[in-house]
Amino acid sequence: MAANGVPAQANGVPPEADGVPPEVERPATEPPGEELPPGGPVLATVAGVVPVLTGLVAFWLARGLGLGTLTDPGPGLWPTIVAVLLVVSGAAIVARARRTTDTEAFTRGTGVVLVGAASLALYAFLFELVGFEIPTVLVLVLWLRFFGRESWRTTALVSLLTTAALYALFITALGVPLPHLIVI
Amino acid sequence: MDLTPVLSGFAVVFEPQNLLYCLLGVTLGMLVGVLPGLGPAATIAILLPITYGIEPAAAVILLAGIFYGAQYGGTITSVLLRLPGEASTVVSALDGYQMARKGRAGSALGIAAIGSFIGGTASIILLTLIAPLVADFALQFGPAEYTLLALIGIFMVATLSSGSLVKSVAAAGVGLLLATVGLDPMVGTPRFTFGSDQLADGIDFVIVAMGLFGVGEILYNLEHRLRPQPAVLSFGRAIPTRLEWLQSRLAVLRGSVVGFVLGVLPGGGATMSSLVAYAVEKRAAKDPSRFGKGAIEGVAGPESANNAAATSSFIPLLTLGVPANATMAVLFGALLLQGIPPGPQLIVDHPDVFWGVVNSMYVGNIFLLLLSIPLIGVFVRLLRVRAAILAPLTVLITMVGVYSIRNNVFDMFLVVALGLLGYGMKKLGFEPGPFVLAFVLGELLESSFRRSMRLFEGDFTGFVQRPVSASLVALLVLTVVVVPALRAIRGRQAAQVEHDVATPSPDGGLAVASTRSEE
Repeated sequence: MAANGVPAQANGVPPEADGVPPEVERPATEPPGEELPPGGPVLATVAGVVPVLTGLVAFWLARGLGLGTLTDPGPGLWPTIVAVLLVVSGAAIVARARRTTDTEAFTRGTGVVLVGAASLALYAFLFELVGFEIPTVLVLVLWLRFFGRESWRTTALVSLLTTAALYALFITALGVPLPHLIVI
Repeated sequence: MDLTPVLSGFAVVFEPQNLLYCLLGVTLGMLVGVLPGLGPAATIAILLPITYGIEPAAAVILLAGIFYGAQYGGTITSVLLRLPGEASTVVSALDGYQMARKGRAGSALGIAAIGSFIGGTASIILLTLIAPLVADFALQFGPAEYTLLALIGIFMVATLSSGSLVKSVAAAGVGLLLATVGLDPMVGTPRFTFGSDQLADGIDFVIVAMGLFGVGEILYNLEHRLRPQPAVLSFGRAIPTRLEWLQSRLAVLRGSVVGFVLGVLPGGGATMSSLVAYAVEKRAAKDPSRFGKGAIEGVAGPESANNAAATSSFIPLLTLGVPANATMAVLFGALLLQGIPPGPQLIVDHPDVFWGVVNSMYVGNIFLLLLSIPLIGVFVRLLRVRAAILAPLTVLITMVGVYSIRNNVFDMFLVVALGLLGYGMKKLGFEPGPFVLAFVLGELLESSFRRSMRLFEGDFTGFVQRPVSASLVALLVLTVVVVPALRAIRGRQAAQVEHDVATPSPDGGLAVASTRSEE
């Protein structure tokens, strides 16, 4: 942990130092976009507060289930034990929040992640309404063209091939009743 | 020892379709090993619904192949790009990449493949000898022993995984809590279902694994996207010279032993064993200063170790029903899906599955040797496949696969929600491994705990009054003391390796020396 004093992402030595062409050395040493800034003490505290809150909610809900006794444990006893574990470990995380460096800051890329997750939720929503083909193509176009910056040509090709491959794998080969528009 | 079931296991392996599944599994394993991003746990999780309809032995042969195959594949990117495909091959990047820069990439890859083959095969032989004894012993286990075993498993995975200790414990806690959703296992009271019928049956393990490992990883990588195409160092044939083999054969042997022993321990596994094997080689060498500059033993030892460990980590799963690492937790789910509860009964009740899977690993390792020596060029070319194209493909296979389990859209929403949870956990520094493991073991732990408490009439000292459970209590106490100590040592080594991999230095050796003096 922090006590080791070795920053995980130390790449101070210029790649040219040993006469190796920079284009060979570079990708391995510092893939740009790979290293996100570490989160600050606030994020480190949040990492502990979440388990504490989860534990408290579980504790409160478990009380309603009936604890029983140690000889005859009720449905609520085990969740209560787990809730206590969560509160204690969460509190320990908060206590050492200042010294931890293992969180990762949320960047503008987080927006992309949320849009990506939302696109999958929309996919699930449309799945049974209009069949799997149209949502599949839509998700592929979003992810390939807008997230991946692929060309329109690649996007179109990969989207169509993937949809066909999913059809072949799940519907034709595995016989899964996926809701679909196109009947072969 | 009765050899009949072992031999009839070979009959299972040599059925043409099982050979095919084995080949498919190890090839997929090589692929995910080569492609950074998705690990073997994620791949196995994503493929679970597809293996639903396959025969049990064939399904597990396929999924196991992915796991040990990935250990071979991960080496390729470590050596050629210094971008380890798998955590267990990080340490091979140290000397492997330096060898590649000196034009000895072929030797590094060759010795890695041969070492992996020897380590893996030796480990299967030891597994064949040891597993039946362990299973036989475990047959007398009662609820008290299972409570302790599950606790030891979760605790060791939590402490040995790469994240911080308290965070791993908290992640395990969330996993245990999520496992209680659904009907109470003893009296049937609905718990945490919020009145939803969909949650009354509890949350399917497959969905948790697919959400956390599959969707979670993909979402996480989405933030790290647009990585430039790495330049691949070229090499001739992936084969070491005679001299290089003589130089590294002892390293292969030592690595195999280290790997086998550490692989059996819960939480030990491939990553830890490769780090320890590297340390062992450095200590055993006459001239340790060669390490980090392209010492072939620095590749041979860890690569033999991670494969031996991958194989021996099947022992606790197949004989005790306690998975030793995250990938084994997913395989636990796969066995449950097939209606085969993993545990000491497995070897007696389903000898064809047990010996079929174990013996298939011999064949799988031969396949992998062929794939990674003559056919390695094919996999190297795959390094050009862009992550931007792979991500949407895998995410869609996951989504459709989730639907196919119960033909249920609710499960798709659940997998996206769990994916976001997995993403958030990674951002905040929580490992998904302890979470998934605790989720898998949650029900076993709770019901054996409650049964023990009834048996002991609420008296906790009951746990130390039976000889076997008392020794397990001792083991648990021991791990509470010993594991954090081990962890401190490993933490230093891991930081060292990470630092060495991240910091290029003129001749590779200086980075190690300079960090030493800083500390």
